[in-house]
Amino acid sequence: MSAIRYRLNGADLSEDVAPRLSLADLLRERHNLTATHLGCEHGVCGACTVLVDGMPARACLMLAVTCDDRQIHSLEGLRDDPIIAALRDSFHRRHAVQCGFCTPGMLISARDLIQRGRAGSEAEIRQGLAGNLCRCTGYTNIVSAIAEAAKTMAAQGAAQGKGS
Amino acid sequence: MSVADGTTARGIGASVLRREDARHLDGRGEFVPDIRLPGIRDVAFLRSPHAHARIKSIRVPPGMKGRIFTAADLPRIQPIRVVTQAAGAKSPPWPPLATDKVRYVGEAIAVCVAPTRGDAEDLANNIQVEYEVLDAAVDAPQVWRGSRHLVHESWGDNLYLERVIEGGDIEAAARAAEITVTREYRMNRQSGAPMEGRAVLAYRDHRLDEVVVYASTQTPHTVRVALGEILGIEQRRIRVVAPDVGGGFGPKARLYPEEVILAALALELDHPVRWIEDRSENLLTCAHTRDHHYKVTAYADRQGKVLGVDCEIIVDAGAYGLWPQGPYQEANMAGRTLPGPYTIANYRARTYTVATNKTPLGPYRGVGRPGACFAIERTIDEVARAVGRDPAEVRIENMIRSEQMPFASVAGMRYDTGDYPASVKLCAELLDMPRVRARQKQGEADGRLIGIGFASFTEQTAHGAAEFASRGASIIPGFESCTARILPDGSLVLHVGIQSHGQGLETTLSQIACQELGIDPSHISVRHGDTESTAFGFGTFASRSMVMSGGAVARASRMLRDKLCRIGAHLLQCDPADVRCEGGAVHGPQGSVTIGEIANVAHLRMDGLPPGVDPLLDMTATYEPQISTGVFSYATHGAVVAVDAETGFIELLDFAVAEDCGTMVNPMIVEGQIRGGVAQGIGTALYEEIPYDAQGQPLAVTFADYLMPGAAELPAIKIGHMHTPASATEYGMKGMGEGGAVAPPAAIANAVRDALAALGAEVNETPLTPARVLAAIQKAKAAAA
Repeated sequence: MSAIRYRLNGADLSEDVAPRLSLADLLRERHNLTATHLGCEHGVCGACTVLVDGMPARACLMLAVTCDDRQIHSLEGLRDDPIIAALRDSFHRRHAVQCGFCTPGMLISARDLIQRGRAGSEAEIRQGLAGNLCRCTGYTNIVSAIAEAAKTMAAQGAAQGKGS
Repeated sequence: MSVADGTTARGIGASVLRREDARHLDGRGEFVPDIRLPGIRDVAFLRSPHAHARIKSIRVPPGMKGRIFTAADLPRIQPIRVVTQAAGAKSPPWPPLATDKVRYVGEAIAVCVAPTRGDAEDLANNIQVEYEVLDAAVDAPQVWRGSRHLVHESWGDNLYLERVIEGGDIEAAARAAEITVTREYRMNRQSGAPMEGRAVLAYRDHRLDEVVVYASTQTPHTVRVALGEILGIEQRRIRVVAPDVGGGFGPKARLYPEEVILAALALELDHPVRWIEDRSENLLTCAHTRDHHYKVTAYADRQGKVLGVDCEIIVDAGAYGLWPQGPYQEANMAGRTLPGPYTIANYRARTYTVATNKTPLGPYRGVGRPGACFAIERTIDEVARAVGRDPAEVRIENMIRSEQMPFASVAGMRYDTGDYPASVKLCAELLDMPRVRARQKQGEADGRLIGIGFASFTEQTAHGAAEFASRGASIIPGFESCTARILPDGSLVLHVGIQSHGQGLETTLSQIACQELGIDPSHISVRHGDTESTAFGFGTFASRSMVMSGGAVARASRMLRDKLCRIGAHLLQCDPADVRCEGGAVHGPQGSVTIGEIANVAHLRMDGLPPGVDPLLDMTATYEPQISTGVFSYATHGAVVAVDAETGFIELLDFAVAEDCGTMVNPMIVEGQIRGGVAQGIGTALYEEIPYDAQGQPLAVTFADYLMPGAAELPAIKIGHMHTPASATEYGMKGMGEGGAVAPPAAIANAVRDALAALGAEVNETPLTPARVLAAIQKAKAAAA
C-alpha cells in the first residue's frame, strides 16, 4: 500500500492505494464515480478519459499511486463547467448520444479541444477525437455538436472555460 | 390510420429530442458495472489457450472451495443446447464450463471469485490444466467435408447444416446466357465490438426467493427462459434485468455461458458476484460475426440482364451454436437475400454452415446480409463491366419495379413495397455523379485514382412467426407486448418487453402513445429490459422493436383510449360515440374532461364510473404485423474513393445513403441509426478483421490490433429519404436499425473497382486493406504482362 494525497473533483483526499490499483478503479470502485467508463482498459477507446492536472488522460492506464499531488477531475466534477454545459446542450439537440457509454469521455475530450481552441473546423475536430471511439453514432453528430458548442463558447467570450 | 390524420407536434414524424440523453450527458447512466451492492465479489475466468485440446486434468490449489469452481463444482448447470427443427441440422451440447475438451481459444474452463478482479485473475493463474493439444479445424472451405480434424467427433464431418435454396431453372439460365461472370468473395471474421463489453451481476434475493441477474443483454426475457431450463429452476424464481446497455448490435442478443455460470454461482454463494468482460475477452469470446465465403456465377444476356445466379456460400460458424437460434441463420439469411432487389428468376444457393475451432458466430447488425450484398452487388458490377455498360444503369434495369410489388423473390422472400430504382437515382444525385466522373476523367494532381460505386439492398425487418417457423427455429420471436398503465394523476407508464440500448425507444415509444392518446411524451415513462416489470417480450434485435413494440404500444394505447372515452362520456353525460380523445382530454359536444380527471375516477372515485366499467386504466396488448414474413426497407449506398495505387491506401471522399423505411416515427433517430450503421459497415469494409493462424490462434484481441473506425477516418454521411409506407404495419412503419451496416462493403469495393478499372484490378475480400489492394494491383499487372 502507498499513501497518496490528491485533489479529486475539488476535494482534498489522502488514502492508501495498492500498487496495481488503476486510477479508473480508484474513481469507480472506491469513490463510486461511475461516469468514468472502461471500454478497453488498454488506452485506445477513450471512454475512461478524465482530467489530470487539467490535461485529458486515460484513467485505465494510470496507476492510482502516480496521482500523488495531482488534481483529478472526472465528469462528476465538471457538471458546473460552462464548456461541459454547452456540450451537454449541443449533444442533446444534435442527437450525439446513442447508448451513452462513450459519452463522458467524449465530453471531456471535446471540452479540451474547445478550451485549447482546437475545434475550429470539422477536420480539426475529427482529428482531435482520434482518441475516442464511438460505436453507435458514426461521429457525424458528435462532430457537429462540438462545433456548435465551440461557437457558443466563442460567442459568450468564455472560450477559456473554467481552469482546472 | 394515416399519419396525416392524427399527427401531433410530438407524435409520429416529429424529431423529438431523446429523453435518454440527460442521464448519459450527466454521467449518471447505469450500466451493469455501475451497480453497487454490499459484499459483491468479482469473477474471472480461466480460459483455454488452445483452439482444440483434450483436457486431461485440472488441478486446483488446495483450500479453494468457494473461490474456484470447475464444471464438477457446479453440477446443476446443464449444457446449453439449441433445439432446431431444421432438417439435417446438427446441434452440439455446449457445457458452460468445459469438461473433457476445449474447442476454441477463450472457452471457459474454471471460474474464480475474489474481492477484486485482479485477485480473481491471480486465482485463475494458479490453476493447472494438462492439455492434449489436437489439430485445429481452422479453414472452413477446407475442413467441412471429411476432415481429419473434427470439432465434434461424433459427427463424422464438420457441418452444422447444408441447405440448398433454389427457384426457377438455373440450368436453363446457364444455357440461355450470353455472358457468364464468376467470382469468389470473402467477408472476413470480425467482432461487433460494442463500447461496453458484456457484464453479468447476480445475487440471491432471499425475501422474494429468486435469483436476480443483471446482464448487459438485448434480450432479458429469453435469457430468463434459458436460465430456467439450464439451471433447472422455475422462471418465477429468476429475474433478469438489462439496465443501460452500452451498445449491443446483435452479439448481446444471445445467451452466453457467463450468464449461466454467474447465476449458478449466486445460487451457491452468500454474496453477490459480478463479471465484467474486459476488451480482450470481448474480442475473444463474445460472438464473432461475418466470416462468409462465396463463389458466385451470374448468367446474363448481352445487355446485362441477369438471367440467373448460381452460388455456393460457406459460413465459418465456429465451435458451438449460440442459444436460441444456433449457427444456422447466417447462411439462411445470406442465401435468401443474395438475389437482392433484382428480378432474378433462376437461382440456386448451396449453403454450408461449418464448425471450426473458433469463437462461435452470432448475429451482428445485418445478419448475413452484408456478405450477400457484397457478393451480389460486386457481381452486378462485374456483369455491367462484362457487357461494357455503366453499373448504375445495369443495376436499375435489373431491379424490381414499384408496379411489380408485392414481389415474391426467387429465394422465397416477399418484398412488400418500394421503388428500388429511384433509390439508385437519388443516391447518384446525392454524390453529384457527373461531377465525380468529371473529376475522375481529369485526374488528381497527386496521382491518386478516383472511383465511384453503388450497392443496393433490401432489408427484411420485423419478421415474425412465419419467417422464424420457416427456419425451423424452436423459439419464434413473433410478437411484442406492452402494458400501458395510466396512474391516478393521469401520467402514463409503458411497460414493454423490448430493451433499448441506444435506439432511443424510451423516446419513440412515448411518441406512439402520444399519437394515440394525446399525452405529451414528457408525461410518459417507458420501462423496459426487466422481466419483473414487463410482460414477456423477445427483446431488441432484427430491426424489430419500433414496428413490433411500437405496434403493441399503439394497440394498448387504443384500448386505453376506448376506456377513457367510455368513462369520459359518462362524466360528460353524453354518448360514447360523440366523444373524442385528443390533447390529453376527452372532448364531448359540450365540454371536456382531462385524462387526469378520468384517471382519478378510475382509481380513487369509482363511484363516478359508468355501470359495467371496471376500475383501473391498465391494458396489455401484444402485436405482430399482419404479414409475419417481414416488411422490407431498402436503400442504395454510394461511395466515392481515392485510391493510392502506390500504397494501396483508400481514402473515403464521400458517402451517401438513399433509403426508404416507410413511415418514420422520429427522423432524427432514423438518421442517427443510419449513420451509426454506415460507420460499422465502413469498419467491415476497410478496417475490422480477426484473422486466425493455422493453429487456431486469434490474432486480434485488443484494440491495438483490431482496428475500429474513428472520427478521423469517416466522412460526413449524406442521407436522402424516400417514403413508401408499409401496408402491413401500424402507421406504415418499417424497421431500419440494421440497414446502414449492410451495403458499405459492397459500395466501397465497387468504388475501388471503378478507381482501378484501367488497371483491371478488383478487391473481393474485406476488409480492403492497403495490402489487399496492392496485391490486387500486382496480380492485375502480372496478368496483363
